[in-house]
Amino acid sequence: MSHPKASHVVDARYMEPPEPFVQTMEMLDRLKPGEKMLLLLFREPHPLYKVLRQNGHAYETELLADGTFEILIRR
Amino acid sequence: MQALLSFDKAPPFAAPLRFFLTAPLFSLAAGLLLLFVGPGLLESRWTPGLLAATHLVTVGFMLMVMLGALIQILPVVAGANLDNPLAVARWLHAGLSAGALLLAAGFLLGNGALLGTAALLLGLAVATFLVASGRALAGVPSTSPTIRGLKLALVGLAGAIGLGAWLAVAIARGWAVALPSLADLHAGWALGAWAGTLLAAMAYVVVPMFQLTPGYPARPSWWFPGVMLGLMLAWGLAVWLDAPQGIRLAQVLSALLGIAFAVLTLRLQRQRRRARSDVTYRYWQLGLASAILALAMALTATAWPALADRAGWSILAGILLLVGGFMSFIIGMLYKIVPFLAWMHLRNRGGPRSPVPSMNRLLPEADAQRQMLAHAVALALLLAAVIAPDWLARPAGVALAVASGWLMVNLLGAARRYRQHMEKLDREAVAA
Repeated sequence: MSHPKASHVVDARYMEPPEPFVQTMEMLDRLKPGEKMLLLLFREPHPLYKVLRQNGHAYETELLADGTFEILIRR
Repeated sequence: MQALLSFDKAPPFAAPLRFFLTAPLFSLAAGLLLLFVGPGLLESRWTPGLLAATHLVTVGFMLMVMLGALIQILPVVAGANLDNPLAVARWLHAGLSAGALLLAAGFLLGNGALLGTAALLLGLAVATFLVASGRALAGVPSTSPTIRGLKLALVGLAGAIGLGAWLAVAIARGWAVALPSLADLHAGWALGAWAGTLLAAMAYVVVPMFQLTPGYPARPSWWFPGVMLGLMLAWGLAVWLDAPQGIRLAQVLSALLGIAFAVLTLRLQRQRRRARSDVTYRYWQLGLASAILALAMALTATAWPALADRAGWSILAGILLLVGGFMSFIIGMLYKIVPFLAWMHLRNRGGPRSPVPSMNRLLPEADAQRQMLAHAVALALLLAAVIAPDWLARPAGVALAVASGWLMVNLLGAARRYRQHMEKLDREAVAA
């Protein structure tokens, strides 16, 4: 699945916890340094944010009209 | 995975669990009160017994679970960490428990000193929570409708408790105040600006997450908490200015807002991708249907005030909203939160290869489904008891007590299984 913001996308909008978290971490492991991935969710994942900050990954979040949070994460 | 699920200041399980295990005792007490007082309790909105029972449910059950859950949930949904969650939990739990009991006793016995003490205790307990959560949220930007909703709900809580404490002291001291219109305003703030707004803020996260529905549309979710709080402020202003038309307008608009939220949630639930209807989903369906009916009754009464004066109308709406609506939402969420937290703490305690019982083994779905049936029966009997109190008031009291006791047994079972497994992990750690 591709997206204008990033070629690597985890669409976790209809996944049960902790699947979004697990898939995001797995995707991050596969990325090369400097590559970006996009996580789609219907909520802001604060526990994930914390882990991203601890591991030094930068991220930006945008809320879309349909309630989707687009979280762009840099490896 | 295990390290990933635990974040530094995730409160220990004991912090929220004490609230969840105590709360059913208060709704059980409300049922027993109806059993012992009997049909007379339902004669009007203002009987001492009904005021006591209502506050056992709203303070002892609802507020107890909502604040206990917030201590746990603030870091997860808002990234806001309380400085010392266990200490806040201890004080808050003690203050709420004692305050709810004294408040009920004060109403029941018509004792001003008890009411005044209850107001002081509840005021202090909630103020402690507001300061702790306010500090945690102070540096958190409102990046989602949930965070904005949480912040505004806390303003609603401050207003609801402030009005309630003031009313209790006014009754205790015999001050001449317009009790009915101020009591309505207190209920509006407690159920609209606080509980309703908190429910919406949580629903934005938990409905899509637990029931695999589409998300709530961003713009209406963003505006809902602010509009609700604005309407409550307008209602307060209209009471202050003694403007009955303004009061009615604020009541109508806030009821319509509540109905819009409930209808939207029902629509989202219809689009869910989870085929199985679990107990949380069913409890929410019951809650939404009850809340819509209750708010429609409130609307009708506002349009035709003669209806509101009819014995039973406002009591029926109140039972629908509290027992049918809020209690159902809360119990439905407890059945997700308690096994999930037990599972998470076990997972964090054990090693990566140490097996942890599934959430369904920690709190079996079948037990929860049977308890829900008891709750639905209690709701039906309570409603019927308003129409035929002589026959049904006491059976309805028994039914509410049974459903609440059963909830407690289910939650205690999950806590017991959690403790047994934790002890096993401790033994394994020592052996290794």
